[in-house]
Amino acid sequence: MRLGGELRRRVYMLLHRARFQQDLEEEMRLHVELRREQKIASGFSAEEAERASHRRFGNVTRIKERSYMAWGWNWLETFLQDAGYGMRSMLRTPAITFVALMSLALGIGANTAIFSFIDAVMLRSLPVRDPKQLVKLGDQDASGITDSFAATQLYSYPFYRQFQQKNAVFSDTAAYYSMTNHPHGFVDGRQDPELINVQTVSGTYFQTLGVEPQSGRLLNENDDSSEGDHPVIVISNGFWKRRFASDPSILGHKVRLGSTVFEIVGVTPPEFFGTQVGDSPDAFAPLSMSAVIPPGWGGYKDNFKESLYIIGRLKPGVSVEQATANVNILFRQILPSFPDAKLNQENLSRLNKSHVTLKSMERGLSYLRRAYSEPLQVLMVIVALVLLIACANIANLLLARSTARARELAVRQALGAPRTRIMRQLLTESLLLAFAGGALGIGFAAAANRVLLAMLPHGQNTIPLDVSLNLRLLGFTLVMTVCTAVLFGTMPSLRATRLQLTESLKSGSGAASAAARSPLGRILVASQVALSLVLMVGACLFLRTLINLSRAGMGFNKENVLRMDIDYTLTGYKDDDPRLKVLYNQIEARVNALPGVDAASFSAFTFNEGSWNSLIFVPGMPIDRNVNVPHNIIGDAYFKTMQIPLIAGRAFGPQDSATSQRVAIISESVAKKYFPAGSPIGRTYSIGSPDSGYTAMQVQVVGIVRDVKFDDIQEPPAYIDYLPYSQREWGFGDFEVRYKGDFSTISAEVQRAIHGIDRRLPITDLMTMDELVARSYANQAIIAKLSAFFGLVAVFLSCIGLYGLMSYLVGRRTGEIGIRMALGADRSQVGWQVMREIAVLVLAGIAVGLPVTLAGQRLVGDMLYGLKGTDPFSIAGAVFLLSSAALVAGYIPARRASRINPLLALRYE
Amino acid sequence: MAALLRRTPDTDGNRDEIPPGTLYLLILKSLAVRGRLHGYEIAEFIENCSEDVLQVEEGSLYPALQRMLIKGWVKAEWGVTAGNRRARYYTLTSDGKKQLRVELSQFERVMGAISRVIQTA
Repeated sequence: MRLGGELRRRVYMLLHRARFQQDLEEEMRLHVELRREQKIASGFSAEEAERASHRRFGNVTRIKERSYMAWGWNWLETFLQDAGYGMRSMLRTPAITFVALMSLALGIGANTAIFSFIDAVMLRSLPVRDPKQLVKLGDQDASGITDSFAATQLYSYPFYRQFQQKNAVFSDTAAYYSMTNHPHGFVDGRQDPELINVQTVSGTYFQTLGVEPQSGRLLNENDDSSEGDHPVIVISNGFWKRRFASDPSILGHKVRLGSTVFEIVGVTPPEFFGTQVGDSPDAFAPLSMSAVIPPGWGGYKDNFKESLYIIGRLKPGVSVEQATANVNILFRQILPSFPDAKLNQENLSRLNKSHVTLKSMERGLSYLRRAYSEPLQVLMVIVALVLLIACANIANLLLARSTARARELAVRQALGAPRTRIMRQLLTESLLLAFAGGALGIGFAAAANRVLLAMLPHGQNTIPLDVSLNLRLLGFTLVMTVCTAVLFGTMPSLRATRLQLTESLKSGSGAASAAARSPLGRILVASQVALSLVLMVGACLFLRTLINLSRAGMGFNKENVLRMDIDYTLTGYKDDDPRLKVLYNQIEARVNALPGVDAASFSAFTFNEGSWNSLIFVPGMPIDRNVNVPHNIIGDAYFKTMQIPLIAGRAFGPQDSATSQRVAIISESVAKKYFPAGSPIGRTYSIGSPDSGYTAMQVQVVGIVRDVKFDDIQEPPAYIDYLPYSQREWGFGDFEVRYKGDFSTISAEVQRAIHGIDRRLPITDLMTMDELVARSYANQAIIAKLSAFFGLVAVFLSCIGLYGLMSYLVGRRTGEIGIRMALGADRSQVGWQVMREIAVLVLAGIAVGLPVTLAGQRLVGDMLYGLKGTDPFSIAGAVFLLSSAALVAGYIPARRASRINPLLALRYE
Repeated sequence: MAALLRRTPDTDGNRDEIPPGTLYLLILKSLAVRGRLHGYEIAEFIENCSEDVLQVEEGSLYPALQRMLIKGWVKAEWGVTAGNRRARYYTLTSDGKKQLRVELSQFERVMGAISRVIQTA
């Protein structure tokens, strides 16, 4: 309170400074006056009284200053003075100031931008109540549906219910689908289907997270109490804003998904985006309804359809270790207690070996975190180095400028200014520069964030990730700005104030040539070169990785293939409806007949789109439980469309019908592994685990195709087999078309043909196969492009540094060069001498930079593809590029040196 | 007492500067005794009470007064002197009275300690 009052009075005095100064002057005047009168009264002469009264009062100016200091604002005033002075002196050298500001803005902006992504993807907690208390069962984020026994990542709904009742360590537990549904639905009886991303969750989901509705209510346990009869849905703030223009009377509006009409009962708060960072469902529906929300994953009563994540809120005082122990006891209790549990030897040993690890849900789950944590960290290092280079540049510029100001500073010191005072002045200027750069940098970061967001692949829209400015970011930028200022400001100010006063005062050039001899500027430039080399080598490595990735063989021909998703659920047909297969046939035939189309086929997957996989076993061969073979379900023309070569046997055809012998086509590696002896054609095998409760499916091999990459471009081609869609129920995602000619013409015609068959069918994610493949390594593309960009920025900044230093040195040495020329040195010799100095600097930089690069490449080794971190081409390329750029930058001052007119130079001296 | 004081040759007469750190105490005490004083009166009061031994470098009262204003020990208001002149009068606040007690006890403690040292000699 007292302190508060004191601060208030200080601020009050600051604001009414003029009045307080007047008051003080007036009372001091009165004091001297009264004293003088008193002296006169005691017999002094007027003159003596005047002198005596002043002597007894003391030095008026000093007393006034000390009084002002009492207010505690003198630092502010000196700061304002320094800032004003600094501003003027910066404006006197606009070119230097401009370069400094721009490199700072770029450096700080890039750091802020990358950090905002690190913050959003890796650091930020979920916007829910007390997120630290939330944990998830299972430490990997595998999503999907499995029927394998004792899976520790995904759980069935009945398991969740039992676990919820029996556990003793969580105050709340919730489950939610490990996948988001992407059905097309209809809002309020409208005719146009709209894509609505739906997350199905248990009734306890919002309660467990501690989220309160923005309006209406959120889902509760009652909505999830019985299957199929709770058609209620909660929508997200984003969907409410986008689709309903924030209509306040939103409650009671309807959304039809599949054939069920859901009522909107509430809106989630604005900051809430679910539990997956980088994903933002439009709506949340209870798991009790999951069978009717396309594609109808269901599993409400299936003990072994394991597809849910289970999360829980730790009871107060319960440690993660205690919770883990309890969870594992229950896990081993509940699973075997299901009546349909197949307790064979294999499954029991799996159960015994299983261990459920708890993972913190504080920051939610994120596929972005998996794919981008490492690239973001590497990028953070890169931009930090760029900022360091920028700092070196500015330090050099300030050094040059303070040398030019040596005279001024010497005069001030000679007049009694303490060294600290001058240093403070110079540091204030640095701070001013840094803050101006930081402010520009924040603006730059905002723009950069938009570019970066657009680089992240995510359907048609940008990824829902909040990278806007927040307090943590501002704090980061502030700290960085101050550090920058200290970094680039300290050295020049130390140097500037360490003067041989008399020498500086004698003449400008004396001190300057002393400074010119100093190695500081050269060291700065050489370190810039070294850092640039590190960045350039990195950029070359990542660029070559990107090129290797884009050229990587896929096993199929990704050129000239158009692909799209067709949401069949709007037809209302179930997966096994024969009319669906008729529809597929019709679409394939119609599109196939279009001019410019070579082949067209549906398929369950193409590349990097997830998988359905299981064990397969061949009669007479041992079962390899470690290998899950992915299965693709395809149309007859799939191999022709994708240009996957058939090695033996035949492709699928009209003879493979729902009633004929079930057939399969296997890839080369499957043939080698499972049919080591003799031709597999005509032989049979079973699909599906012998350990699960489901019966395995017998198929006969009719053909062998070449291996393809299926999931990841960096992995070697994996096992895969193919089944015809005529014999297997599956709701399709993908439709592929091999075309000739112009993409946009063909894509328009294909869409017209499909809508000619059924106008309602929504088509999404239309793109070329090439694009689809490129999306799978978008993180590498981003790091390659950004590291190349920053590498060039680094080289550019270093060249400016080099150019600045050499021009400055040449300028300062005009006299010396003039003398040399007068003594007979010819122009080319002078030019060479300057170039030689540059070469020494660059070589020194490279000599330092190379070992650093070689040490640093280990950190990025596993982010490279098709080359090693010590790739000689990348290193040689970087060295070449860097030295040529440096030589170009150095050529100008060298030429200027060789053009010096000795007569003029000496006269000037 | 005199041992504490530094003799400065250029002060007029046989006067001593006030010991460092006691200026607040002296000002506070003056105001406590006389209630309402302006700067000149404070200086006069200190010099008179000390029978002209203690002499303030009179100007240095003012930075001290400014600090005390900020600390909230004294209040200032403009008034009129006997000679009909505008002057700024200072009075103690309740915080100031508390401060006076604090400074007094501190001073007595130090002085007591010093005199004990001197007496043992």
